[in-house]
Amino acid sequence: MAVDVEPYPARVPWTHGRVAGWLTTTDHKRIGILYISTSLFFFVAGGILALLMRAQLATPNESFITKDSYNELFTMHGTTMVFLVVVPILAGFGNYLVPLMIGAKDVAFPRLNALSYWLFVLGGVVLYSSWFASGGAPKAGWTSYVPLSVQTQGNGQDLWILSLHVLSVASFIGAVNFLVTIWRMRTAGMSRMRMPLFVWTIEAYSALLVLVLPALSAGLTLLLLDRQVGTHFFLPGEGGSALLYQHVFWFFGHPEVYVMILPAMGIISEVLPVFSRKPIFGYTAIALATAGIAVISLFVWAHHMFATGIPIGLQAFFMISTMLVAVPTGVKIFNWLATTWRGNLLFSTAMLFALGFIAVFTLGGLSGVFLAVFPFDWDVHDSYYVVAHLHYVLFGGSIFGIFAGLYYWWPKMFGRVLDERIGKWQFWLTFIGFNVTFFPQHMLGLLGMPRRIYTYDHGGLWEGYNLASSIGSGIMGLGVLLFFVNVIVTRRRGERAANDPWQGDTLEWYTTSPPPPENFDGPLPYVTSSRPLRDIRRRLKEMRHL
Amino acid sequence: MRARVLFLTGLLILAALALAGVALADDGGFAPAGPDSPNANRIESIYWFVFGFAVFIFLIVEVALVLFIVKYRNRGRPRDAEGPQVRGHVNLELAWTAIPVLILIAIAIFTFYKLPGIKDVPSAGAAGPQLRMNVEGKQFYWQFTYPNGVIAIDTVRLPVQRPVRMEVTAPINDVIHSWWIPALGPKIDAIPGHPNHIWYEVEKPGSYVGQCAEFCGIQHAAMRATVEGIPAPQFDSWLSNEARAQADGSSNLGEQEFNGVCAKCHGLDGKGGIGPDIATSALIQNKDSLETIVREGRGLMPAVGEDWNQRQMDALFSYLQKRFGSGS
Repeated sequence: MAVDVEPYPARVPWTHGRVAGWLTTTDHKRIGILYISTSLFFFVAGGILALLMRAQLATPNESFITKDSYNELFTMHGTTMVFLVVVPILAGFGNYLVPLMIGAKDVAFPRLNALSYWLFVLGGVVLYSSWFASGGAPKAGWTSYVPLSVQTQGNGQDLWILSLHVLSVASFIGAVNFLVTIWRMRTAGMSRMRMPLFVWTIEAYSALLVLVLPALSAGLTLLLLDRQVGTHFFLPGEGGSALLYQHVFWFFGHPEVYVMILPAMGIISEVLPVFSRKPIFGYTAIALATAGIAVISLFVWAHHMFATGIPIGLQAFFMISTMLVAVPTGVKIFNWLATTWRGNLLFSTAMLFALGFIAVFTLGGLSGVFLAVFPFDWDVHDSYYVVAHLHYVLFGGSIFGIFAGLYYWWPKMFGRVLDERIGKWQFWLTFIGFNVTFFPQHMLGLLGMPRRIYTYDHGGLWEGYNLASSIGSGIMGLGVLLFFVNVIVTRRRGERAANDPWQGDTLEWYTTSPPPPENFDGPLPYVTSSRPLRDIRRRLKEMRHL
Repeated sequence: MRARVLFLTGLLILAALALAGVALADDGGFAPAGPDSPNANRIESIYWFVFGFAVFIFLIVEVALVLFIVKYRNRGRPRDAEGPQVRGHVNLELAWTAIPVLILIAIAIFTFYKLPGIKDVPSAGAAGPQLRMNVEGKQFYWQFTYPNGVIAIDTVRLPVQRPVRMEVTAPINDVIHSWWIPALGPKIDAIPGHPNHIWYEVEKPGSYVGQCAEFCGIQHAAMRATVEGIPAPQFDSWLSNEARAQADGSSNLGEQEFNGVCAKCHGLDGKGGIGPDIATSALIQNKDSLETIVREGRGLMPAVGEDWNQRQMDALFSYLQKRFGSGS
């Protein structure tokens, strides 16, 4: 049932300016755009860090970057991509789309929503200010394992902790907001089983964040206390436990992986049917698979710890729970494939990224099954095999999904369609560059290259694969650059978008592009299926025939 | 459009060929390195078992994907021409839920079948009984201790065809490292205050290199290790000779310590690197001050020798004397 949102407080005049309007906004659409653009900014920053690392690793014994700087680079790259790019950009999509998709005027708590965004900005500023801290940026890895992160000198590590604390609060507020919005503000007729699949995934994203962020906050607090006031939670020399931190971190950290992939899967589930001119195959199965993945993800954390010597019985448990994730994930992949079967496929850029997602995410899922098998994990844990796997899932998965979403919803957000010609070039460069970068890293891992080393002196295959990987990263960089070129070109002379340029299925296409402040000008139709827009189009057609 | 597709396909094929060329130059890196130990062998067989299913699933997905893309492409149909409005198919969906479950069960069963041979240390091998020793990961070197007290740094000699059971740990105030010789198979973390175990049986003589796999600080990449597999009789005589040499101070332990422990930060010539110049430092001329700094560290320097025994300390001091001493 729809619940009336409290009317906005009267807005004082100075908040109406062009810039002030954005700074003081509580409109979910504007906040969504702010989230997305800020995340894209950090995406560029994190990407540059990655390119610097690949430049250093292109050839053996390179001295382009010093050891210390390299350690800062991978720490900041990982932290940026997880906390400042993928999680918040998905929050941006959620912010923009959830109220539109469920037919609400805004999110449940618009001002909390603004608070969440500004805390995210603050967290990003705090993290990046660490480059100027005494001792430089944090350099203990994005996981900041103890005791190393306790012993690391300088304030970079403390700023890392502070930043993550702030970002956790931001995410937590955002997640609660999404949950209340989804649970309380759906328009008439939109039962749970008629919600767009993207909304399902934002619900799972939020539920997971609410459940696991407190664990991260607790772990970070203990780490901060260990560093600053000499508590000894994590120092074995003083009676603490080094493994405790890993359990706490991964209890948060693994569900976080699903936080980052589920909404991207949601985007794929929206894009594929529209460009196949078919309903999604097995809506119920995909919705339940989303919930299933979220639940199982809470019980897999110690598969990051197979090499720490935890008891074999536990390793077996975590192997089986991890393998279980593959089942609902497989269901999704096969259902997506079946969605394209006998469709009328239009290869827009959004569709290309969605199809590309299926092509590469499958590989990331399969290497995940390898890693779940703990004796094999003993071989390749902490090697480039894991780096390959996680990028197949997070770049080939999340980022491909995000680009599909950007191309698909850009017309709704900005009223102009992103240039399709540049878009296709971007897709192919990104797709090829991605595979050239990350596929050889599987082999590097099997050959014995550990993660997080700033150089190596092996020639032969190590050299070849590393060089290929670095070349690939350059190609991928060009691809991403094209996206920003596209944004500028489209802003200047992009094709104007109608309300429903793709013949979509969901309610966001029922309003103007971009939508008015409270989203819909008139009353919404009673929702009778998970594809309300198609229902309307069909009814209009029938009326014309009468 | 066509030209661009051709161009991109060509680019893809070239990239693939380049990769394949590099890959075929050696054993390619398409399977775990080695394997040169029975447990590594069994892990590799698990790898191939999973690999078979993975290729099967991968091909199904990618072939179907490409097939559908080609077959159901738009082909000038109007945009609103819909495909058949199929909403699902219960039996199909059950099938692609159940088949993966069966595959995963098969993988789990095979893993548990191979597991005892991977984790249980045999009590003896073809060339003699099990050898027990200690491995310690320290910032930024590996220290090996044999049952008779012989110590080695970074390079460890192991008898061929004899199971070696290693207790792997780190000094209580150190950080986490991970002991990994890829060709010999599994790795295990070296965690302060948390002893772990691992075993190998080096199958043939040779040199097997590896390095620390858990990020441990500024010299993580320099924390290399070498296992020298040597025939058991030679190993036995080396070990007893080395024990005598280390007892009377005539071994090269001091040199190993300097190269493995000091030189990574202070340079092989002692003239400094990450750490300061020590070649001319008065500090190393005095046994007590050397011992203090090695045991306790200073500033950015970790306590590299917090748990060294007196013999190790003496060996380092006399080597430094010989190498940089004012008297020489």
